[in-house]
Amino acid sequence: MSVKHSLLALLYEKPRHGYELKTGFDELVESMWPLNAGQVYTTLDRLERDNLVESPGHDLKDRKQYTITKQGKDELWNWLEKPVGRSLLKDEFYFKYLCASFVDYKDKQRMIQVQKQTMMKDVLNLTQLRKQMNQSGNKTMKMLVEGALLHLEADIKWLDMIARD
Amino acid sequence: MIQTIGLKKVFNTGGEKTSVLKGIDFSVQKGEFVAIMGPSGSGKSTLLQLLGGLDVPTEGAIKLDGVELQKKTEKQRTIIRRRKIGFVFQSYQLLPTLSVYENIAFPLHADGRKVDSVAIHELLNAVDLKGYDKRFPYELSGGQQQRVAIARALIHQPDILLADEPTGNLDRERSSDILDLLSAFHQDRGQTIVMVTHDLFAAGYADRIVLFKDGLIETEVQREDDDYAEFLSRFMA
Ligand SMILES: Nc1ncnc2c1ncn2[C@@H]1O[C@H](COP(=O)(O)OP(=O)(O)O)[C@@H](O)[C@H]1O
Ligand SMILES: [Mg+2]
Repeated sequence: MSVKHSLLALLYEKPRHGYELKTGFDELVESMWPLNAGQVYTTLDRLERDNLVESPGHDLKDRKQYTITKQGKDELWNWLEKPVGRSLLKDEFYFKYLCASFVDYKDKQRMIQVQKQTMMKDVLNLTQLRKQMNQSGNKTMKMLVEGALLHLEADIKWLDMIARD
Repeated sequence: MIQTIGLKKVFNTGGEKTSVLKGIDFSVQKGEFVAIMGPSGSGKSTLLQLLGGLDVPTEGAIKLDGVELQKKTEKQRTIIRRRKIGFVFQSYQLLPTLSVYENIAFPLHADGRKVDSVAIHELLNAVDLKGYDKRFPYELSGGQQQRVAIARALIHQPDILLADEPTGNLDRERSSDILDLLSAFHQDRGQTIVMVTHDLFAAGYADRIVLFKDGLIETEVQREDDDYAEFLSRFMA
């Protein structure tokens, strides 16, 4: 997750100081991804150095305020425009499976089963999370969960294919 | 709320006897959402039919709120079913010549009850089909038809909703809609639901999963059980 761009987005909305950026980030991602205050301050230093944000000074409580610059807005827009990639041919499980073949590991079927169990557990947990989101009426992260479930569905099918192979 | 004791069902087809249920002890508490899973042909639909009083067991008892269904005549069972049971099937089974509104009202008509148009519109809202009352089934997508079927199954406020593979004909997205809906009725209104499914993604919505095999209950898992997923994956392997 690009902390840099999330801070630009938060500053695009309104000027904030460091701690407000940290809480703003948590709100934005519904605390789904952890971010510590240290990361915020180091990122802000870099953003300031690169002229993507600037500080108009300190507020009454002596907290350093930040605003986004014209250059910062351009950077944010460029980032939004670009598609993201996904690593398609890098798979931790398949790598392990290859190693198992290499060393003549006897219980490869069991490896697949255990992996499948883990994924099924994920399905059940995500389904519950989805249920909770529906119930609380909080729909922001619903599509994230939906995507994860679709990936799991494909992964489970894929494990079955490996098992049959 | 509903309980079966030593339930057996044998079908006679052309002189040949098939034992489909071989002694099912199963119960559902009020407000529970139970999923039944198992290989095709293991007797899941047959159990649902018996629970709903559509058929009678060869042996054993089914108690619905203390009333033994197998002791009732077909006529008495029909009355009980119309009052207490709602059915949803994989194939929607709407009446093609009736509008959405009329389909939903149908169970009330059949039971000689007054049609409560406020309740019908409220249910149409709940299943996200506001304004569809005058449409006909052929004008609707599969997912929409299933949502009408759910409204029809719930219009008489049944004690228990029996759903036989309600997402079996739908893609993942439409299935999620249906499951969200069932789960909302369960959570918001305390609807008791028994759902047959072979889809883990659907079963994940339930509080308890009952695993069927060859006419018997192989095992049951509660959502809270640590080995919930392990049981299931072993079963589905
Ligand atoms: N009315 C019937 N007459 C004869 N056999 C039946 C009847 N209904 C179901 N069966 C048989 O009972 C078995 C279990 O069917 P069913 O309950 O539909 O299984 P499931 O829903 O688990 O796939 C099947 O072998 C089926 O052919
Ligand atoms: Mg069936």
